[in-house]
Amino acid sequence: MDILLTAFANVLTPMALLTLVLGTLAGMLIGALPGLSSTMGVALCIPITFNMPPDLALILLGAVYVSSVFGGSVTAILLRTPGTDASIATALDGYPLAVAGRGGEAIGMAALASLFGGLVSVFVLLAIAPPLSTIALAFGPQEYTWLAIFGLVTIVGVVSERPVKGVLSAALGLALACVGLDAFTGLQRFTFGQNELFDGVPLLPVLIGLFSVSQAFNLCIPRDGGVLSGEAQNLQGRSLPYWADLKRCLRTLWRSSMIGSIVGILPGAGTSIAAFISYNEARRHSAFPERYGKGEIEGVAASESANNAVTGGTLIPTLTLGIPGNAVTAVFVGGLTIHGMIPGPSLFTQHAESTYTLIVSLLFANLMFAVLGLWLCRYMVAVTRVPGAVLGPMILLFSVVGSYALRNEMFDVWLTIAFGLVGYFMERWRYPAAPLVIALILGPILEVNFRRSMQIAQWDLTTFFTRPLSVALCLLVVLSLLVPLWRRWRMSRRVAA
Amino acid sequence: MRHSMTFRGIPHRSSACRESHYRGNRYHARAALVALGMVLGVSQQALADNYPSKPIEMIVAYGAGGSTDTMARIFAKYAEEELGQRVVVVNKPGAGGELGWTYLANADADGYTIGLINSPSVETHPFTRAETVAYSMDDLQPLANVVTDPGVLAVAADSPWQTLDELVEAVKAEPRSVTVSHEGVGGDDHLAALNFAGDAGIELNFVSFNGNAEATAALLGGHIDAFEGNMSEAAAHIREGDVRGLAVWSSKRMEAIPDVPTGEELGYDVMSSASRGLALPAGVPDEVYAQLLEATRKVIENPEFEAELARLNMPLDPLYGEEYVKSLEASQERFKALWDENPWIEQ
Repeated sequence: MDILLTAFANVLTPMALLTLVLGTLAGMLIGALPGLSSTMGVALCIPITFNMPPDLALILLGAVYVSSVFGGSVTAILLRTPGTDASIATALDGYPLAVAGRGGEAIGMAALASLFGGLVSVFVLLAIAPPLSTIALAFGPQEYTWLAIFGLVTIVGVVSERPVKGVLSAALGLALACVGLDAFTGLQRFTFGQNELFDGVPLLPVLIGLFSVSQAFNLCIPRDGGVLSGEAQNLQGRSLPYWADLKRCLRTLWRSSMIGSIVGILPGAGTSIAAFISYNEARRHSAFPERYGKGEIEGVAASESANNAVTGGTLIPTLTLGIPGNAVTAVFVGGLTIHGMIPGPSLFTQHAESTYTLIVSLLFANLMFAVLGLWLCRYMVAVTRVPGAVLGPMILLFSVVGSYALRNEMFDVWLTIAFGLVGYFMERWRYPAAPLVIALILGPILEVNFRRSMQIAQWDLTTFFTRPLSVALCLLVVLSLLVPLWRRWRMSRRVAA
Repeated sequence: MRHSMTFRGIPHRSSACRESHYRGNRYHARAALVALGMVLGVSQQALADNYPSKPIEMIVAYGAGGSTDTMARIFAKYAEEELGQRVVVVNKPGAGGELGWTYLANADADGYTIGLINSPSVETHPFTRAETVAYSMDDLQPLANVVTDPGVLAVAADSPWQTLDELVEAVKAEPRSVTVSHEGVGGDDHLAALNFAGDAGIELNFVSFNGNAEATAALLGGHIDAFEGNMSEAAAHIREGDVRGLAVWSSKRMEAIPDVPTGEELGYDVMSSASRGLALPAGVPDEVYAQLLEATRKVIENPEFEAELARLNMPLDPLYGEEYVKSLEASQERFKALWDENPWIEQ
């Protein structure tokens, strides 16, 4: 308990609070800009921390991390240009809300949901990190295979209106996921001698292209229907969601926060998987699943609480086992070691004070971005009043700069623009883009873990059904596919009777 | 003619120019070349004299936040003090370092672009990817090696095998029954494990992982039997006691993990490491090269720099200039021979 009080005292010094505010603002900006990922934000901050005392350094890195995940939701909602893959699911319902003039409300909900998810995961981290970290170890390649399948199943939820086009889009994503060096044999697959493709089709240029660049084209080439072309109609000044909405979303918030925390613990699983699984679960449990994708605020709540819950989750294996939960925390580990803290059990004994200061500062960082988000909300919403002809070129500019900054490669810029065209026509012909991105993210996870399982089990397929955790995940997949069918069948019987 | 000369920006009062004016066209071109050469020669000299007069770009062929990047940024911090100029780290990750090294090889050889090269990948790409690779070792001018991070073979603490010999016995009893992680086909840990299996006369079941985090989680979770990686990644776990180091593939025991025997002690002829050093595009002026070499030496000999690397479990292994070139050449030859005999990527 003493150590917690010391940690609070450390965070509540003027310098620490100033660091927290600056880190939060920087993080929100990084998250909002296409191409600047959370990973890059934290990596860019590490040299700045070289000459800082360790406590302040950790506070800065933590604040940038959690607020960048929230920052992505702002542009996802207002412009349908998610800054990171974490907020693609947010855009699905956030953008229709913004088009209807309820952008402020959606951002308010995103801020509160992110706060909720962030706080839940920090409390989980604070209270039961060591026992929970065993989850990270219990997941073997077989379980990751099932998790990837579970993630792919969520595509069904996203495309329920146009199943065939959705499946085609997902198939294109899976095909793109095959590109690159084969991790097991070193053979080149579909790289056409382009060494820029050796690591596969890079995710962020595809993401920026499909969502941001295509949206920029949309804004510049006005068509009727659905797109913000300048003045959002009947813009409402509201930036706090209605109490009734919040109460209605409470179960979703809890469920998504738990999903986010657990998925976060798994190394390599990723923020977007958590967001999509939560989104799908929320839709499945909703009384009005047909509202999803058309501006259901609960969808924003599900996605945002899940992706921010991942932040605390990823720190659990990082701090307790020294195994980073994702790319951002891998960079985090670099930052920790530079300040003499080697991740692992010793963090909670030898460096307990700094470690608890970090965890407590995450609580404050979550509060900070929520307060800043709600306060700045009304100003940010003003962006929806900017004419499309001004906004479009600006988004295009940021997209080009952002995609170049990823690897400092012109190749990625051309790729981004190419996928911008693909995205533009996909939207025009009503092919949903989200399944393509989900498949591109999950394809490699599925393939690599399937092959790892096969190698470990010496090509015995029963390995996927003989491990307790695998069976549990398998049942989840089956249930999530069958329950909606069963419900529909029951409904139709009721109607008939 | 005079006009055309002016347009090319060559000063009138150059004697070479005046000569050409009298002797006609044939000499004109040659004279212009001489003049150009003089101008360039002067600027080259001037360049070396007040080098460095602008920030230096430092290419890292891996992503921000990785171990190569961390080392580069620490090095850059100390190098700035020695050179009196900013050293800006630029990440060009992709294709296992190939994109960054191609960029480095093609950069201007003026000393304002330097880069980190990772051995053995930097010298194996040119022959394992002969058809697509766009640089060769001749395009690079190695400056100095900084860190050599030896390979380690490890098992989880609850593994039945206490020693390397027990592991070998187990595999001999049941070939391919033991799964070993590595972090990418053709990387140093894959090659080390291949080398060890060949030397011990056993067949291992290799499982590829994307990086150290996933492999360590799989080892601690009991999903794989053994882990082949680098010491800097495994040392913390070995010291914590949740991982047992069976062998380190270096010539002598490492300070960070003094209880882990070397492969040689155990009777295996396996040496493997990942080295990180500095290189320039080939053709940098001698004076600039000498100046950079001197600055690098001062950084490496700085005890504060060494202490920072020690915290990251990265053992310093300084090799300067010619010495470094020779070690890279020897390593390339060794791997080329191994490749010719038994290529690790199917062709």
